[in-house]
Formats: sequence, C-alpha cells, structure tokens
Amino acid sequence: MRMAMIAIAGSFGALARYQLSAIIQRRTQSSVPFGTAVVNLVGAFGLGLVLGSDPNPTGPLLMAAGFTGGFTTFSTWMIETARLGILPKLTTRATLNLTVLAIFGVACAALGYHLTS
Amino acid sequence: MPDGSNIRRPVSHRWGALVAVVGGGFIGSLSRAAVASALPNNPDTFPLATLVINLSGSLLLGLYLARRQRADVTRLSLQFWAIGVLGSFTTFSAFGFETFQLIEASRADLAVGYIAASTLGGLLAAILGGRLGRVMS
Repeated sequence: MRMAMIAIAGSFGALARYQLSAIIQRRTQSSVPFGTAVVNLVGAFGLGLVLGSDPNPTGPLLMAAGFTGGFTTFSTWMIETARLGILPKLTTRATLNLTVLAIFGVACAALGYHLTS
Repeated sequence: MPDGSNIRRPVSHRWGALVAVVGGGFIGSLSRAAVASALPNNPDTFPLATLVINLSGSLLLGLYLARRQRADVTRLSLQFWAIGVLGSFTTFSAFGFETFQLIEASRADLAVGYIAASTLGGLLAAILGGRLGRVMS
C-alpha cells in the first residue's frame, strides 16, 4: 500500500517536473540546465518540509514525500552536467552545476526541515 | 473548436507525452520504493539504497541516450524512459535530505563521502553508460 501511494504520487511528480522544467528552460533560453536545477531544489525543500513535520509520514504526507521523489531527478542532473563538458577537460560550468546544486540541495532540505520541525 | 494547428500537431501527441511521462514516472517511483525497501535504511548510516538507485539510474540513462542517437527512437520513447522511468527512479530530494540527516547526526565524514560518491560516481556512471551504449549499438 505504501509503495502504491509512493508510485502514484511519484507519477504526478514526474509530470510536474516534465512541465515545469520545460517552462523554466524555455524562459531562461540558456544552455545551463536551470529547469532541472530549480525543480530539484524545490523538491529537496519540499521533502524537508514533509519530514520535518513527520519523520515517518503516512497518508497525505507520504504522498507529498512520494511526489518529491518523482518530481526531482538525479540521472538528468548527471547527464546534463556531463553535457556541459567534463571530458577531455572539466569546464567551469559543469563543476558549478555539480557543486552548487549539491550544496544548495542539502541547504534546501535543511531549511524545509527546520521550518516545520 | 478545432483550429489549423491541430492538423499539424494532433492533440493525441500531447496526450501521448503526458501518458508516457506519468506511466514511466509510476514505474520508476515504484521501482525506487522496491529497491529502497530491500536495502537497509537508517538516518545515521551511509544511505546506500539511494546511492545504488542514483548511480544505476544514471548509468542506464547514459546507456539509453547513447543507443537512442543511433537507433532513431521516437520522442515518446524518450519521454517514457528518460523523463518518466529513469527520471523518477532516481531522486535528488532524498539525496539532499539524507546528506542533511548525516550532518545532523554528527556524521559530517559520511555526508562528505556521500556527496562525493553520488556526484563523482553519478558522473562516471553516466559516462560509462554512454560508452557502453555506443559499443552495444
């Protein structure tokens, strides 16, 4: 039952990511993948909010946590970072896309958690 | 009201994309939940489950995209596999939150190791997947 709830919520998260990241990417007109970055940071903040209010969520809160799981993505972040240029030479943009998002992701989760815990 | 744009771009294409992303997202999220429940999960220990999920998902996405370049697969396939299944299988929110939990548990050493293993390992996995995909196709 828990898994089904996570999967249903995650499928809506995926749809929201698909739409929102495309809109952001179109608006920014940049080769830097801001769409994925914004979605990931918002999702990490959201999971922090959920788990701050209940570390073992059930019902609607479990659905909210499941939503952030499907809403955020790690694989696309990696592929887009690789495309910014890592071989043969690591570019500044790729390094920043990796480090800034990792650090801000932790910070967003921490912020969300402290707001509700 | 039907208009001229519907002739060039049928509505069904857009609905197809939504179904592909939602269906793929369901399968990806379900797979992640299954893998996560099969592996140990404690707030103050190394988050192995999410690491395994994120690295394997990055490898598979690299593999898929490299094969796609040669195989000329449809846009719907990309929406299903890359955005839906693998996009949802892997997760950034858990990565961020688990790192924060490790810091809270005074395990900054594990937090740094987790970030390094995820980011550098994820990149390597994506590149390796791409190489494999080119060899296979």
